[in-house]
Amino acid sequence: MPDAALTNEPKSIVCDGNEAAAWAVSLAKPDMVAVYPITPQSSLVEYVSQFIADGKIDADLMDVEGEHSVMSVLHGACLAGARTYTATCGPGLYYMFEPYVRTPGMRLPIVMSVVTRDGLTPQSVWGGQQDAMMLRETGWIQIYCESVQEVLDSLIMAFRIAEHRDVMLPVNICHDGNYLSYGVTKVFLPEQEMVDDFLGDKDTNWHVALDPDRPMSVDPLTGGEGPGGPSTFVRYRQGHCAGMQNALRVITETHEEWERKFGRCYAPLIEEYRLDDADYAIVTIGSMSGAGKDAVDVAREQGQKVGLIRVKTFRPFPMEALRNTLTKVKAIGVVDRSVSFAWNCGPVFQEIQAALYQLKERIPAISFIGGLAGSDITGEHFARVIEATGNQLAGDMTESPVWLNENE
Amino acid sequence: MEQTKYLIAGCSHAALSALNSIRMLDQDGSLTLVTKDDHLPYSPTVLPYIVSGQSKPEKVKLRDDEFFAQNKVNFISGAGLSTLDVDNNSVTLQNGQEWQYEKLLLATGAAPAIPPIPGLTDTPYHVLRTMDDAVNLHAALESAKSAVVLGGGLIGMHAAENLIKVGVQVTIVEMRPQVLPGYFDAEAAKIIEQTFIENGVAMRIGNTVVGAAPDGEGAKVSLDSGDEITADLLLVCTGVAPVISYLEDGPVETDQGILVNDCMATNIANIWAAGDVAQAVNFYSGEKSVGGILPAAVEQGRIAGMSMINDPAINPYPGGVPLNTYGFFGNQAISVGVSDENALPKDTEVLLNVNEEEMTYQKILIGEGCLLGISGINTDFDPGIMWQLVLQRVDLEPVKEEFLSNPTDTGRDLMSRTWR
Amino acid sequence: MGHSHNTIAFHQDKCDGCGECMTVCAGAKSGTADTLHSRLKIVPSIAANDSFELALCRQCGDPKCVLNCPSGSLTKNHKTGVVPWDAEKCVDCLLCTVGCAYGGITYNAAAGHVMKCDMCDGDPACVKSCPTGALEYNRSAEIYNNYGELEDLFVPGLAACQGCNSELLIRHTMRKIGSNAVVATPPGCIAGMGTVGFNGKTGSKIPVFHPLLTNTASMLAGAKRYYNRIGRDVTMVALAGDGGTVDAGFQSLSGAAERGEQMLYICVDNEGYMNTGMQRSGSTSFGSWTSTTPVGETLHGKTQDAKNMPVIMMMHNCEYVATASLAFMDDYYEKLDKALAAAKRGMAYLHVYSPCPTGWRIPSESTNEVCRKAVETNFVTLWEFAPDEGLRFTHSTDDPLPVEEYLNLSGKYRHLDDAQLTHIENSVERKVAFLNGFMLATSDDGAESLAQ
Ligand SMILES: Cc1cc2nc3c(=O)[nH]c(=O)nc-3n(C[C@H](O)[C@H](O)[C@H](O)COP(=O)(O)OP(=O)(O)OC[C@H]3O[C@@H](n4cnc5c(N)ncnc54)[C@H](O)[C@@H]3O)c2cc1C
Repeated sequence: MPDAALTNEPKSIVCDGNEAAAWAVSLAKPDMVAVYPITPQSSLVEYVSQFIADGKIDADLMDVEGEHSVMSVLHGACLAGARTYTATCGPGLYYMFEPYVRTPGMRLPIVMSVVTRDGLTPQSVWGGQQDAMMLRETGWIQIYCESVQEVLDSLIMAFRIAEHRDVMLPVNICHDGNYLSYGVTKVFLPEQEMVDDFLGDKDTNWHVALDPDRPMSVDPLTGGEGPGGPSTFVRYRQGHCAGMQNALRVITETHEEWERKFGRCYAPLIEEYRLDDADYAIVTIGSMSGAGKDAVDVAREQGQKVGLIRVKTFRPFPMEALRNTLTKVKAIGVVDRSVSFAWNCGPVFQEIQAALYQLKERIPAISFIGGLAGSDITGEHFARVIEATGNQLAGDMTESPVWLNENE
Repeated sequence: MEQTKYLIAGCSHAALSALNSIRMLDQDGSLTLVTKDDHLPYSPTVLPYIVSGQSKPEKVKLRDDEFFAQNKVNFISGAGLSTLDVDNNSVTLQNGQEWQYEKLLLATGAAPAIPPIPGLTDTPYHVLRTMDDAVNLHAALESAKSAVVLGGGLIGMHAAENLIKVGVQVTIVEMRPQVLPGYFDAEAAKIIEQTFIENGVAMRIGNTVVGAAPDGEGAKVSLDSGDEITADLLLVCTGVAPVISYLEDGPVETDQGILVNDCMATNIANIWAAGDVAQAVNFYSGEKSVGGILPAAVEQGRIAGMSMINDPAINPYPGGVPLNTYGFFGNQAISVGVSDENALPKDTEVLLNVNEEEMTYQKILIGEGCLLGISGINTDFDPGIMWQLVLQRVDLEPVKEEFLSNPTDTGRDLMSRTWR
Repeated sequence: MGHSHNTIAFHQDKCDGCGECMTVCAGAKSGTADTLHSRLKIVPSIAANDSFELALCRQCGDPKCVLNCPSGSLTKNHKTGVVPWDAEKCVDCLLCTVGCAYGGITYNAAAGHVMKCDMCDGDPACVKSCPTGALEYNRSAEIYNNYGELEDLFVPGLAACQGCNSELLIRHTMRKIGSNAVVATPPGCIAGMGTVGFNGKTGSKIPVFHPLLTNTASMLAGAKRYYNRIGRDVTMVALAGDGGTVDAGFQSLSGAAERGEQMLYICVDNEGYMNTGMQRSGSTSFGSWTSTTPVGETLHGKTQDAKNMPVIMMMHNCEYVATASLAFMDDYYEKLDKALAAAKRGMAYLHVYSPCPTGWRIPSESTNEVCRKAVETNFVTLWEFAPDEGLRFTHSTDDPLPVEEYLNLSGKYRHLDDAQLTHIENSVERKVAFLNGFMLATSDDGAESLAQ
């Protein structure tokens, strides 16, 4: 995909997703990067630290004593006007949770990579999206990448999305632990001036600041039954929701702009693969999508009218885009790399069910759960997924969830 | 007509003390100080030292123009009050100016009371109340070799001492049986008189002057004893009388002085009086009487000023107490409160300690466990503390023994514990 | 605004009547050892054995001696506060002594003049000579003069409890620091009284925010780093409670201190979560009643000693660590000065003991008394520490009052039994001994006393 016509001779390097993320950070020129190492994110912050040490990134490196402080120092810096970045996952994310949850409420446009990891217990240091899926109701924007190049490109775009005045929300760029974090490939590096031009001046605290030149109280107690309490609180919530909805438009426009500038085109919200004449589709998220596409190609060769739907933007939930896409098929199978314990299915499946409810006609769907704790979702797994999904068309229903790796 | 919020007549202790109180709470209200005298404020008490030459007139001023500027005081000298129109809240000054006030304080003090001695008006004599008096008297000493002082009160005694110190032969004539009555009893007065005699002053105690006549440049006075005394210089110090002539026929109530209540207010709204001019309540008798001492003028002025600005911290005037600190020929006599037990109930405790050899004297009077008075010569105690012990009626019963033997330390102990 | 003046304070409970002050005063002022020439007078108290009282000029604001003086020899110097006496103008009439109700200006028969204290030009000899600390040169007036006219950076009507020590502290502190600052008030009384405000209304005139209970130091560190990056010198101030400091906020504070983040972190220690119902914290003292260490049949208050947070902070690469108490305001201001200077280089940590009238069950008017007694009994020690200067006591720990005199003031200790009391006495002694040892090992003062 990455070989569209470029205005300049592109510079390319060979690296893994963590290094690609570090390159993206260097190009986005944040003022502050706060780090605390955690598998499988560690090499990312090592790269960033080395870049700063080498003078490639002109940013304050705050190697603090834990993820809780990572997010907290970014809060302080962002409130003072800084562009900020960090990365974490798994236990680090859980430890960060208190300030993490607070970030979008203060409308701080912080960008953070989640190098997804399964866990927490049974103990696991391997890939899986359980950590990222836990963040669904925290009010952050969440974008899931498929490839190393997409990690790099999305991360740069994330700053523009986050700082957009119609959005002003923090963004998580999720890339799968192991598959993307350590998967090595060739990536193109955008030109610095073009990135500068693309991102424009940083714009992080026009609305809220800790600045003696603009004294204000940041985050006073709000709500309760006092005069104006409920309405003030509701206004904050409504504003946050509106920012989320605006983000759908902004993400789309940003991707369009990216394509115009850098020549690489990504579906901003929902990607459709070989869907035009498909009878049914499988739904994927993250790095598994590549294997999924290959499996679709194979099935197509065998005459199956199957396509693939990739969820790229998961928060805000792209309801309209998804509805448009889903109307094109008559059955789906959703593959998750994490679990919704309460619904006994995958979380993406769960949410797509909600989207299905909005269709004129009901179509059948199956929840597949695979790739937990670093296990593979191979072509063979996807063949099973495609088969079971297609069987629904003939009335052959499979009970959800299907645990893809349960016999390995 | 000129307007002022506060008008104060007089610029001596009572006036300045009131000014102080007013400016404590109201730094900007227009304030005018008018005085008859031509000088910057000074104290009559310092005049004996001008007479002797120990102090120079320009060195003893109590306030200067800078102070008045800083405190936004409009100071008008050489222009005493001549009439008062209470209906119009206005006064006329001797220089013809008319002033309307919101609040008026009369602090015009006292002036020498001249006794009705036959021939005195035709005889050249001096008094000592104003700076000009003192300067004149000082000049007169150049040529004078002898002087006769009428009156053995504080002013006369001060003057006499200062005269003899510059070599003038002095005679004091006092009609009462002792000097300094009211502050010291006969026994203490005797010690003082003796010291004067030893220092060459002729004392004619218990003698009344019955006539006066010029004698060349000087004067001749005749006593009831038949004696005649001639001197180059005659000084009349027979007492003072409040300066209230400007109130004549007006509605402000007067007796010997201007009658005031315990906030120094007169019977007329917006008019107060304080100091030697006022007739305020006496601490012991509860009757109103004129005082004529400096600490009382300061205290009354303070209260008057507080009352004029409605200072909520005001405490009513507790009443006048005789107070005297009197230095003579290197000795110190101090008296606080009553000095003569004869005026007191029979059960008053009297502790008397006299050592004629060392010329020390001390008397303590205690009634109902409280200090009524303490007086001494060459014994030290803190008069300010004693004054408060009297006023606050501090119970001395628990410390009486110690107090009688060491009033200084015991007084300090009590002070520190009672009003620390 | 008027001018205020330093005074010589007399702590009667410390005076043993040795009279050294009088000897020194006589020497300084008259060149003799005869205490008759002393301008201050210590007298034995008749009311109590071994107790002494003092007569000394109070340099009254509205001195009656001056009003009583007929010769202009006494004046009030409104700049220095002293009432000087001009011998040349004096006519020895002693009327001044009538005006003074304090025995402050007295007749010195041997000299033939009155005499009075002139404060030795702001360096009183008597105070320096006092071996027990009974005489103190109280400089708190300077605080008023220096800071009284500065703007109070909090709004009137903060909703602190009556007698709240914390409100006093924050108003003083920010007045001094000024508005070029960012202030963090994590959850606790200081935030609860409305400094950050409610529903869009603020309680401060400066940038102020609620950090989380847990991340005060980190948030400030982030903001500070950015201001440094863009070349702006902005002071970061934490006004945090003990819960947000010694418990939940400890890690972020520890990390920030270790990294040398530049800020002034003030822990206002009221020994528990007083804002939310008086629960125990790691800073709650042994034996204290709190709502989570209640007193009943089996439990009798807290069963552990408090964490010694300032000592912990000494081992944290801080540029400056000090303890303070608002009963010793001049000491606090001196430390605040040093802390602000240190906060430009790294972490400055002030630990201020802050009795809570509501939570400790003390009458609201006696907060300051409790502050003072805490120090005088060594329950609280006042000291400062800088890495290259070591530890120095700013209030002597010698001859403390019995700890009970402090404990008796607070309802939270009302139930203490003998064993608990003994425990507290011992731990107070241990803490002081530890600090003394540390002082000896680290400071010049200590080195000197070791050498002797
Ligand atoms: C020689 C001498 C020695 C003394 N020694 C002592 C002593 O040792 N101890 C002691 O306690 N007391 C002593 N006194 C008394 C003491 O000085 C007075 O009690 C004190 O000065 C009273 O203050 P005052 O303000 O009431 O009045 P005064 O001092 O009398 O001042 C009156 C003021 O009013 C002004 N004035 C007068 N008439 C008018 C007018 N019509 N309009 C406007 N202004 C007017 C005068 O110019 C003067 O400024 C002494 C007095 C004298 C004269």
